[in-house]
Amino acid sequence: MAQEEGQPTISEITCQEVAQWASAYLDGHVEDERKRQITAHLTGCAGCETYVKQIAMVRDVVALLPNTVEEPSDPHRLRQAFARVRRCSIKEELQ
Amino acid sequence: MNADAIPVTESFSHRMVTSWKPELTQSDVVANEEIVLLARLRQGEEGAFDELVMRHHSALIRMAMGHVADREVAEEVVQDTWLAVIEGLGRFERRSSLRTWVFGIMIHKAKDRGVREKRHLPFSSCVSVDDSDEAVDPSRFHQSGEWTGHWALPPQPWDDQTPEKLLASQQAVNAMNQAIETLPRTLRDVLILRDVEGVDAKEVCENLKITETNLYVRLHRARERVRRAVETYLEGQQSVV
Repeated sequence: MAQEEGQPTISEITCQEVAQWASAYLDGHVEDERKRQITAHLTGCAGCETYVKQIAMVRDVVALLPNTVEEPSDPHRLRQAFARVRRCSIKEELQ
Repeated sequence: MNADAIPVTESFSHRMVTSWKPELTQSDVVANEEIVLLARLRQGEEGAFDELVMRHHSALIRMAMGHVADREVAEEVVQDTWLAVIEGLGRFERRSSLRTWVFGIMIHKAKDRGVREKRHLPFSSCVSVDDSDEAVDPSRFHQSGEWTGHWALPPQPWDDQTPEKLLASQQAVNAMNQAIETLPRTLRDVLILRDVEGVDAKEVCENLKITETNLYVRLHRARERVRRAVETYLEGQQSVV
């Protein structure tokens, strides 16, 4: 832990609170005062800086995870339905 | 990613100040793409419909799986969703994004089906999640004394890890996918919509009928579980070396 005595900004908010707010903080969804407290805490606490960076990495990696590409069980039926409904709609619009 | 989001590579203490210039946010780009796609759909372009299906089908299946008994039923729910989308396209008024509308239809259908099949829901879907629970294991923090609430067992830095390195490891990918698949439904829904699909926070709240506070509590719990999975994987790697 990187806390040092005489750094009141860190004790304004605990590591547990920073960890709790990490996602909202990263996504820019915390109030200004809370944001200031967390930012100040992060400058002096290696544990929290590491934690927030790890949550940020998870957020970014999850979007890139390779997944099995799924396909509809009956794509032919969907295409047929799409063609039928759109044909009717376009006809209605023209009338 | 949210426009205000803080990227992983940014240093918290030594942020570089760059001159601000107006740029399209990711949600602007998505919105523009949707307008074009919607116009093509309304013109009856089959390729546009295939594109829409390709874009969202996998995530729809993953989310539907959390609501219903098995894969077969999830596929039926999503197939019904696409049919409803086709029928409703003409009436879609763009009060939400096309994506939010499609996911909304699926959630409605999946919930409806899930209620009818309540007894057969997989165990992970039924685990209740209390939003007041702690996301991070409380035992990792000092419980008493001068340092109450501060790290007792701080996370170890993932020094040489980058998103690319993690994604290159099949074991790491499996660990993360496994963590996501076993999330309780309420956590999986927010993670898939927000982080996998990149849906705006407000739209996720609208879709799931939850408050923004609930969203971030759930999202963080979900991200923390995936983070733990990575941590456990990396600890395993170290003990092998």
